[in-house]
Amino acid sequence: MGEEEQQMPAGIIGFQNELASIRAALAEFESGEKSDVAIIAEPFAGRTTLLYAIEQITTRKTVKLSFSALITDRDEISLPPGAGEIVLCDNCHFLYQRAIGGFKHLDEFLTAVAASEHLVITTWNVYSWRYLEEVRAIDKFFPLTITLPQFSAAELKELILAGYAENELEFEDDSRPEEKRIITRHPVSFTVRNKTLAIPFFSIDFARIKVLFSRKEETRKAEDIIFEKINRIANGNPGVAKLLWAKSMQYPTIKPSFVKECALKAELDYHESFLLSLILAMEALTKPELHEISDEPEVETMLHRLLHQRLIVEERGFYKLNPEALSCVVSALKKMGVIW
Amino acid sequence: MVETDLVDVPLKTIDLGTILSVILIILLAYLLTRVIAYLLTWLAERAGGRRITVKMVLPLLKFTIYGIATYFILASILQLSSTQLVAFSGLLGAALGFGLKDLFADIIGGLIISVEKPYQIGDKVSIGGYYGEVTDIGIRATRLITPDDNLVSAPNYLIFTQAVASASSGTPEMMVVIDLFVDPDSDAVTGLEILKEAVVTSRYVYISKKRPYTVLLEDFPYYRRLRAKAYVHDLRHEFEFKSEVTRRTWREFTKQGIQAPRAPIMGEQHTG
Repeated sequence: MGEEEQQMPAGIIGFQNELASIRAALAEFESGEKSDVAIIAEPFAGRTTLLYAIEQITTRKTVKLSFSALITDRDEISLPPGAGEIVLCDNCHFLYQRAIGGFKHLDEFLTAVAASEHLVITTWNVYSWRYLEEVRAIDKFFPLTITLPQFSAAELKELILAGYAENELEFEDDSRPEEKRIITRHPVSFTVRNKTLAIPFFSIDFARIKVLFSRKEETRKAEDIIFEKINRIANGNPGVAKLLWAKSMQYPTIKPSFVKECALKAELDYHESFLLSLILAMEALTKPELHEISDEPEVETMLHRLLHQRLIVEERGFYKLNPEALSCVVSALKKMGVIW
Repeated sequence: MVETDLVDVPLKTIDLGTILSVILIILLAYLLTRVIAYLLTWLAERAGGRRITVKMVLPLLKFTIYGIATYFILASILQLSSTQLVAFSGLLGAALGFGLKDLFADIIGGLIISVEKPYQIGDKVSIGGYYGEVTDIGIRATRLITPDDNLVSAPNYLIFTQAVASASSGTPEMMVVIDLFVDPDSDAVTGLEILKEAVVTSRYVYISKKRPYTVLLEDFPYYRRLRAKAYVHDLRHEFEFKSEVTRRTWREFTKQGIQAPRAPIMGEQHTG
């Protein structure tokens, strides 16, 4: 086991390279050089977990600012006085609003970060970050930017099984023979003039070809098949994968057939896309906030349509993205050009 | 005997079958171009940012299909030796010189548009005094839809005689210029900052390293002009973008006490 792996904080799986970069930044700070850090990731990808890991490995005094809603009071963003501390700021995308006059708190925060003698480690939603990179050149304030990678199936397996005792779960391979084929036939349906047509289509399972060439066919266990399927559907996002796991598990048994493919489909007009892009980039917004930012008179109707399509969920007055819909929402919004 | 040789027309026997096959070829070529146009348009609308790339194949395919159809028609009715080919070319030249020269210029113009691509389907262009989105590049004419929803057919030969301006030149993104005029006594610096924020927070804007935005201030005798230049992700949002930014900026101007000029604006200023 490598030295870096030995130093992994308890309960943290994955992010080895990212933690190594942060350790280097902490070491530089010890020697008097300050490189403020921005950790960038999709929603549910483990930003807060990584920040918790940093809290564990640092030997200096840490101050944590955790934002969970839009910042309205400048006192919420004031950095501590003095020097030499580690300031951890979680969910910094709540510092701005995509509206006229909506960058005031962000600008104040960035000025404070630049002037501060503390090491500031921040986390950002990747879609907010990309937007702010273009309109506010935010990357110039953070010499070290770390984009969290997608999890591999092996990392995901380790992450999920960490919560269970050995042999607690029963994995069964009930994948049908056609699921093991390299080329599978499935119909692709599309709508032309309100009529749904289905055309037979072929798809190639590249992962399976890889397995065949690596001669690991015999060693592919049921649990590997299950975690590969979950990871593929979750697109390597650990938060989405954990949710999918929880939905698929019929304790203590899990089979590949229990893991359902995402059936959600985003059918949006441009205005709904923009509203959804705000929810994706900000992660949690109330109805009045959406009203104010989007400048849309029909926010209520649009939210209803998004809720009906199960693309978003409402939790205690906040509208958030449905984790299951993440992949299809991102793909639809990129096509519409509302996220960059 | 000599006379008979001179008037020997290089025609195959034209019977009912030949006529029917010619009609069938024309019909097939027409149907094929319609089907391909429909499929490509359907595909392009689902291709997001690659919409125009998909559509630009269409004129080239049309010319290829009609070219092949013409070849088959000529091959089915004519059987030309080299001497006859010269004679036929002479006849064709005379025909073009007298009556078909405009049609021929249109066809050549269409071929040049397809190959050289001064504009493509989906671009916003100015041709022959009209501005609009190119919806089709045909054998004879280019069709535009103007902002007022008028269908304009501009002959393809215009590219030989007039300058053609393409605002998007083959990409779905397009620069939009927004001008606002304010009273010289108003706070122009605050106005400029408001306009900048209205642009970057617009739902239609697209900003990247290759597609930057800019806001400019210029003084005129009785007013100040605030100009924003930014890209929309889809050129079809050009007017919505202008309207949205103007509406939101003026709402904020009113809050900040920035006023419209008291003197009337004299003509449009094209000073960059």
